[in-house]
Amino acid sequence: MAAWARSYRRMVAWDLADLRLYLPVLSAVLVLQGAGFVLGIGLLFSNMPESAALFLTTGAPVMNLVTAGLIFEPQLVAEQRIRGSYEFIQSLPVPRSASALAWYSVAQVIALPAVILTLLTGVVRYHLHLAVTPVIVPAVVLTCLTGVLIGLAVAHGVTAPMVANLVSVVMIFVMTGFSPVAFPASQLPGWLQTANQWLPFGSMAAIVRSALTNGALTNGALTTSVPRAYLVVGVWAVAAALVVAWAQGRRR
Amino acid sequence: MDDVRRGPRYWLSSYAAMLRFDVAAQRNWLPMFLLMQIMFGAGMAIIYGFYIGHLSRAAALYLVSGSPALAVLTAGLIGVVMMVTERQQAGTWDFIWSLPAPRSAAVASTFTVLTLLSVPGIVVTLVLAAWRYGLTLSVSPAVVPAVLLSSLMATSVGFAMAQLIGKPVVTNALVNALIFVMLIFSPVQFPISRLPLWLADVHRVLPVYYLGQVVRSSLTTGIVTNTALSYVMLSAWTVVAWAGTAWVVGRRR
Repeated sequence: MAAWARSYRRMVAWDLADLRLYLPVLSAVLVLQGAGFVLGIGLLFSNMPESAALFLTTGAPVMNLVTAGLIFEPQLVAEQRIRGSYEFIQSLPVPRSASALAWYSVAQVIALPAVILTLLTGVVRYHLHLAVTPVIVPAVVLTCLTGVLIGLAVAHGVTAPMVANLVSVVMIFVMTGFSPVAFPASQLPGWLQTANQWLPFGSMAAIVRSALTNGALTNGALTTSVPRAYLVVGVWAVAAALVVAWAQGRRR
Repeated sequence: MDDVRRGPRYWLSSYAAMLRFDVAAQRNWLPMFLLMQIMFGAGMAIIYGFYIGHLSRAAALYLVSGSPALAVLTAGLIGVVMMVTERQQAGTWDFIWSLPAPRSAAVASTFTVLTLLSVPGIVVTLVLAAWRYGLTLSVSPAVVPAVLLSSLMATSVGFAMAQLIGKPVVTNALVNALIFVMLIFSPVQFPISRLPLWLADVHRVLPVYYLGQVVRSSLTTGIVTNTALSYVMLSAWTVVAWAGTAWVVGRRR
């Protein structure tokens, strides 16, 4: 246990040192993504209803939470594979769980300022009132952790760097455009609503949104309840963790 | 007299040869071009519809008639820039400049091919977006000059920008930031009056707004007025891009 904790600390330090040039840029990109999105989507409306503004403001932080894990990690690992440093990093004498959790901690810390700034932007721009409950802590942790695990699953499970990059870009596209994250599910066609009952992004938004609005708004879909959303996200996290364990454990 | 290497005839035969070269070199890019344009053109028109929710016919018409402009911008900003920076990294430009063809003929041929390369994506985008919202557009013959001038402008600006910057890493970072800002804050999918005044003023100088206007006016009736100014601005940007290209391509290193 003490050895694990030491490995974890070392890997956090490793990630911070390894990514010292990337992290400030990534942080800025996340702020631009969240706050820019909150301001920009509002321009599409001639008269934005308060519910639309609330969905947008509470959905954009979810994008902040998962972007680093979902897109940055696969690209980073793809780069390591191209450079040939992947095997070296995998051979470091630390438990894989310690190194995964270290990366999660870093991703969570990068995402938090963006989440807060995105929320503030929305609240100020659209004069909203949020009712933040303590459930926000598990909601944010689970969302970010699941994003990181899915990203790790892609990064380690897909061995062709180009394909891994493509998969991560497609995931971001699906999350932003075709998942009920920043708009109600009822605005999607029926088949996409059904698909999103099982995909992780809409459920992530449902749990974060319900924690930010004291449960007043969930997903806009009739059948999506918050406990079910927790279950869907949890299953994705476990499944992704299993893929990571399999991909890292196999012999080549 | 075969070795005369100047004059319009020589330029034209070089241009024709470079056209063959460029068509052969670019044909692999066509599927990629098409895919990106559909994603950012038709894709954004459909996605914005999800965000807005219940669309009136006028609002849907606005989104659909704006979508080709996004496809044009995608081709010019992402497609052309990617092609140019890839050639910079591979050293292909040095090879092309060393060919026994006037550089102006080589550039003219690249512009021709890339301008035409983006047309299928524009058409597919428009058809997809119109189909999604069940609209019939009133397409006027002005669509031909509108799309060609827009595409030529976007190609020229993308090409000039990538060549003037010269550093692929910087160019790509800049384009990634630009495409996000452009897709979200450009008065193409919403009226310019919704922008804060200072940003609207910026867009009265940049070409994006005028590009949207020119294309929209050729697809709809009664939404866009004063198309002449838009054509003038697009032409001006094209000429400025050509001047920048001429300077960077023509200088000795």
